[in-house]
Amino acid sequence: MWLVVLKTCWVKTYKLMTRYLFNMLSGFVTLYIVFALLFFGAKSIGGGAMDLGDTLEGMFVGYLAWMLAMMGSTDLAWNVTNEAQTGTFEQQYLSPVGYGWIAAFTESFNFIYNVALVFLIAISMAATTGQKIHLHLGSTLPVMLTVYLQANGIGFTLAGLALIYKRIQSFFQVVQFLMVGIFFIPWDRFPWARFLPLSASQKVLQRVVIDGQKIWEIPASDLILILAVTVLYLALGVLLFRLAESKAREKGLLGQY
Amino acid sequence: MEGILVEGLNKTFREKNRVVEAVKDVSFSVGEGEIVGLLGPNGAGKTTTIKCILGLVKPDSGRIEVGGIDARREPRKAAGKLAAVLEGARNTYWRLTVWENIVYFAGIHGVSLSRGKEYFRYLLSVLKLEDQKDVEVRKLSSGYKQKTAVACALAKQTPIVFLDEPTLGLDVEASYDLREALRKLQAEEKRTMVISSHDMKVIQDVCERVMIISRGRLVTDEKIPDLLALFSARRYKVVISQNGDAAAIRAAEEKALERFPGCEVKRSPQTVEVFVNLSDGRQIYELVDIMRASGAAIETITQEEVDLEKAFLEVVRREARACG
Repeated sequence: MWLVVLKTCWVKTYKLMTRYLFNMLSGFVTLYIVFALLFFGAKSIGGGAMDLGDTLEGMFVGYLAWMLAMMGSTDLAWNVTNEAQTGTFEQQYLSPVGYGWIAAFTESFNFIYNVALVFLIAISMAATTGQKIHLHLGSTLPVMLTVYLQANGIGFTLAGLALIYKRIQSFFQVVQFLMVGIFFIPWDRFPWARFLPLSASQKVLQRVVIDGQKIWEIPASDLILILAVTVLYLALGVLLFRLAESKAREKGLLGQY
Repeated sequence: MEGILVEGLNKTFREKNRVVEAVKDVSFSVGEGEIVGLLGPNGAGKTTTIKCILGLVKPDSGRIEVGGIDARREPRKAAGKLAAVLEGARNTYWRLTVWENIVYFAGIHGVSLSRGKEYFRYLLSVLKLEDQKDVEVRKLSSGYKQKTAVACALAKQTPIVFLDEPTLGLDVEASYDLREALRKLQAEEKRTMVISSHDMKVIQDVCERVMIISRGRLVTDEKIPDLLALFSARRYKVVISQNGDAAAIRAAEEKALERFPGCEVKRSPQTVEVFVNLSDGRQIYELVDIMRASGAAIETITQEEVDLEKAFLEVVRREARACG
């Protein structure tokens, strides 16, 4: 049963992606162009240097992490919103494995696809900026996974809110900017910022992608921190989604739009 | 037992400025392999009742059993027994083909392609979707979209199926095709089915029994032939000639309306037709007495043929009168 559901979710997600091929390609191009504009714009204003997390490396990794975070959060929330609009959300809810697992299986496919896309954009960005990067899979993937899962926590929260309050898509965009803000908060002045979602994982990602550190070279305390933050925000997101789902069932809003 | 049992179901929606009692103390059962129609005016509580059974709406109170499973206590286990088409042609991915939709929705219910392939093909043939198999749903007419949604629900091969407005927005031919397909599938598979619809033809053609919900209450639960017999035995048409005294005719109408509230009067240049539902056959004498006393000339008295639509309207109007 579980394998059938997993395979079914993967095949459907893949097929829908191929049906929106132009959308996929334009997404890739847009993300690359936005980065190029940021980079060349900053270079021309700052005379070749920019202070974003102090260095170009900060901007580089910040952008990668932001892309992943966006894909893991607002994309997930958009999906739930769209599914609720088309009535397919209720159908998934009727599955004996429950909506949670269907979302998890679908997101596992999305993670693989999104990471591949982020790698591709990272390589393009590196070629544009001349920035040396290290994409050691065994080290990069686990850290990216923590970014993605923390973002999923945010995504589930947004999706839950969308189930109840419906048209809150503009709020999704606000959250995208808030996530950028999180990357900017300096830990030395605001030590609590390390416990915010995405913040610690982005710092570790920089060490892996820019400094070329392997995951086993990262101090255990940092790994424990990003794991704990991941578990915390993912669990919180799922819990809030569950509460929202329960409220939506109570108010009869699960499939209404 | 792969049937449905609902006892004392209640659901009230509380909004800022109003309280809506959507379902009030609804109880019924649907036996294994039975096909039952659920009728009711807009906002009567049909969809809420169905969604409560499916677990999509949380009831305030009541007991729901599906296939012998307490659906409120074990919703996931109960979900394995249920499939549904909700609110017409939605419920499918319009960018996927008919076949891909069927495979997906069966798959998330644990029915693999290898296990279900033959049956999926059979569904395509019964629902006359074979030529549309590889067409994206967005390119199909509303009739085919609807049939796709029905195929997706049936492909799960669950013992209990809910179809909420399966013929909504369909033209005469598409509606006929779907009714034919449902009849055939029901005859062959004997699944437990609940069909909610405004389309009386679907209910009359496909269902054995009908439940009518009005203002959140279950007001009728009868076998369709019994319901029709009940109303046909009661409903009479009295034709009065317009050639007589106009004042006498008006007086006859008024007295008839006074004695038999809810009776209908239709006028034409030649005649006045009075339609009346009698709770007791002997009341026909009273009606004749009213006409005689008023001086109205009766041309004919006939027992009316009643279809499901008339019976439904009568039940709903009676309920509305009872509720003031």
